[in-house]
Amino acid sequence: MNEPKKLIDTPSQTAGPFLHIGCTPRITGINIFKNELGLTPFQDISDNEAINIKGKIYDGNDEPIIDAMIETWQCDANGNYSNNQGFARIVTDFKTGEYQLKTIRPGNEINTDGSLTASYITFWIVARGMNRPLITRMYFLENDLKNDLMLKSIKIEDRLNTLIPYTKDNKNFIFNIYLQGKKETIFFEF
Amino acid sequence: MIKKHQPLRKFPDYKSSISRSPNKEPLWINSSSSEMSGPLFSEKIINKNDNDLTLNFSKIGEKPLGQEIFVHGFVKDENGNNLKNVLIEIWQANAGGKYRHQNDPSNIKLDENFGGCGRFITSSDGYYIFKTIEPGAYPYPNRGTEWRPRHIHFSLFGSMFLQRLITQMYFEGDPLIKSCPMINSIPDINARKLLIGRLDLSKTENEKILGYRFDIILRGKEQTFFENKREGL
Ligand SMILES: [Fe+3]
Repeated sequence: MNEPKKLIDTPSQTAGPFLHIGCTPRITGINIFKNELGLTPFQDISDNEAINIKGKIYDGNDEPIIDAMIETWQCDANGNYSNNQGFARIVTDFKTGEYQLKTIRPGNEINTDGSLTASYITFWIVARGMNRPLITRMYFLENDLKNDLMLKSIKIEDRLNTLIPYTKDNKNFIFNIYLQGKKETIFFEF
Repeated sequence: MIKKHQPLRKFPDYKSSISRSPNKEPLWINSSSSEMSGPLFSEKIINKNDNDLTLNFSKIGEKPLGQEIFVHGFVKDENGNNLKNVLIEIWQANAGGKYRHQNDPSNIKLDENFGGCGRFITSSDGYYIFKTIEPGAYPYPNRGTEWRPRHIHFSLFGSMFLQRLITQMYFEGDPLIKSCPMINSIPDINARKLLIGRLDLSKTENEKILGYRFDIILRGKEQTFFENKREGL
């Protein structure tokens, strides 16, 4: 049987250094839209459930990237994805390169066989110099990543720790992303 | 493993891609509910003039400088289905090639009647339209000073994160296209043409506004066909 001919999906191009004009216009002093997208992933996050994630994205010269945009996407505490929550749009600071995200701890998705996946937050990253987005995930330390359905077939055990943030209190996390070098983060493609 | 119609991440002719792309291969994994879902944006976030960049920032009764244009087209998936409810955000330089952005080093003047961004959500038949002005080309440091072809940045949200796309539309006939390393980072020469907005004289207004047609294809739900087998499987 002949498969119907597929159209080619439009190629990606870099978002460039001025992506803020279109994506987070208020930073550039443009206040014409009703609202900014993804200001918070969930409405009314209580102090109790809030977690704070911050970090920097380091380029191959170990310089933090000051003009990146990160979109994060995650499920709610019960492991469910919804169309109207779970999305955040953050940019790295023009001077320090640091990003900050206040969110809640995602739950575990349930696999078709009833097992639970490790909980994670998807990071979708664009910036000048990136012809295509980079996609990674922040997992949590107590997840058993080596047995995760998604990851266990992959021979990356020695790099799995690049997906796990540093934390002292399970409330505040530091998740740095390294594009190159010894600590190069695992990026995903689908 | 390469999708030939998508740009290479590391493309030395585009200098900043050298330090801003990973050295290791990305890991191909099956998409899970995280990639098969995504935020949906409602019409409620859109103001009436959000897609008219000649109006949405200008003072009453004034207009930005430059050639007014329509940019319009359809958003489809790989199977040719028109995609409704796709949020499109665009941004661009003014007619002189200057962005309304504190980090733009150019000493070209800002246009006080031009912000440079717009939003639209595709209608039930996947159609979108923006009214704007033709952006100027601008120089940037690469291999020495180079010039970007005239372009409009596009950001699109389909119905799932797998379809998330940021790209650029170029203008048919722009002589700067040929040497642009960002376009040339796409190995498939035919795919490069998908980024060119075509002059569309059927879309004009009062013989004052030029039209450009730019259709955009987002990935479908199915796994893309890879030319090489996945590693490790
Ligand atoms: Fe640009």
